[in-house]
Amino acid sequence: MIKGTRNILAAALLVCGLASQAQAQGEQGCILLKSTAEVAKEVVDAKGVKTVTMVPAEKVVPGVEVTWTVSANNVCKQPSEKVTINNAVPVHMSYVGGSAFGAGSDITFSLDGKTFAAPAQLTVKENGVERAAKPDEYKHIRWVFKGSLAPGATAVARFRAVLN
Amino acid sequence: MKSFRISALFSAVALTLAFGANNAIAAGVAAGTPIDNTATVDYTVGTVTSTASSNTVQVIVAEILDVSVTPPAAQTPVAPGTTGQVLRFRVDNLGNGAEAFLLVANNAVTGDNFDPLAASPAIYLDTGGAPATAGIFDATDVPYVPGSNDPNLVADGFVYVYLVNNIPTTVADGNVGRSTLTASARTGTGPAGTVFAGQGAAGTDAVVGNTTALDVDQGEYLVQGVTVTATKSQAVVDQFGGTHPLPGARINYTIVVNAVGTGTAATAVFADNIPAGTTYVAGTLTINGNPLTDGADADSGAYETTPQPRVRVQLGNLTQASGTQTIQFAVLINATP
Repeated sequence: MIKGTRNILAAALLVCGLASQAQAQGEQGCILLKSTAEVAKEVVDAKGVKTVTMVPAEKVVPGVEVTWTVSANNVCKQPSEKVTINNAVPVHMSYVGGSAFGAGSDITFSLDGKTFAAPAQLTVKENGVERAAKPDEYKHIRWVFKGSLAPGATAVARFRAVLN
Repeated sequence: MKSFRISALFSAVALTLAFGANNAIAAGVAAGTPIDNTATVDYTVGTVTSTASSNTVQVIVAEILDVSVTPPAAQTPVAPGTTGQVLRFRVDNLGNGAEAFLLVANNAVTGDNFDPLAASPAIYLDTGGAPATAGIFDATDVPYVPGSNDPNLVADGFVYVYLVNNIPTTVADGNVGRSTLTASARTGTGPAGTVFAGQGAAGTDAVVGNTTALDVDQGEYLVQGVTVTATKSQAVVDQFGGTHPLPGARINYTIVVNAVGTGTAATAVFADNIPAGTTYVAGTLTINGNPLTDGADADSGAYETTPQPRVRVQLGNLTQASGTQTIQFAVLINATP
């Protein structure tokens, strides 16, 4: 009898544990969002042939470009609509102009995290004069995927930023 | 998808090359700084709209090892045989973390006319401190002892380094002697991209930057020698209209002084003793045809009786550009010895 109660408690604890783990990963829903950081690594083989591969970025030095990839995987049995990925340009980094990419998406940028627009529409007021914003002034990037994301499909958003 | 990847890689390589062309890049974000990234997604399934966050990716800023040695702004003019001649270099930590640097001086540089002789000690570190002494070689600066007081520079920090040498006596006017100063990161040097795992500031990796974490530059000594020559001639006029050196005859002396070379004969003084058996003729001293009074006064010439009768003319700082200096005076041959 006592033994049985113990088992129930243990099961309850296990459930709680799983729930909190899911919570930590960000409310397990239909889309699993994963972010990775990579840098280009040049390897020269014995014959002097250079090959560039992407390796995970763990430690980087100033001036190095980091490629950030965000993948959205639809884990439900129904399609997801209006998939919109938001990513702030990390602190101490500068967005590399023209590097944002996402197949089948409209990409817009924001200087303040509120108003998003295409690069041509982004302006900065400097000494009372409006001028076009420079890519390193973009602080947020938004990918709006057209169409629906089929079950099991993955949408990929990517951009590069250089460490200041 | 595939085409994106190729273009991304190409631009990454191009960036590296452009970066390599510029050595004097600022240090950048401090070593050890964590950089986090979290993305969010909004989507709709059926009629339900949801939001999710990604994992947080963390990148740690590693230490970049970069150094710059700046040579003296100009040649140091020296005279043959002088000691304690100083060349001032500047060593800059272009990295993004604190780093100690090893300093090495070298006087055996090819392509010059002579090798400066290292003084002992030969390398001094500027103590900075008060603005009055910062960057100026003086008694407050400390001798450099490799491995003992290697300058430890913060990111973007710098120190003035003085190389102190003696100039050989055998050098000739116009000779150039060079000394180099090499500064290298204590953590290590090597081709750009060399990694010293775990040896960077704040426990990060240290990565050699485009300067190879080593820089060398040279300073120059220029010998500015000067040779001063004086040529004396005389003309005798006797009291009978002849040129015989009889008692009572007058001797007109002309001394031509010339400076040859690129240097300066500082505060040059011409002095000529009145020959025994003759007497100076008062008021006859001239320079370049201009009379000089006999008294020790404002003008540059004087007739003196102590320690012995002589004429004396201050020529000032004499250079080749000063041109020929012509000094004249007259004496009378004494009637009685």
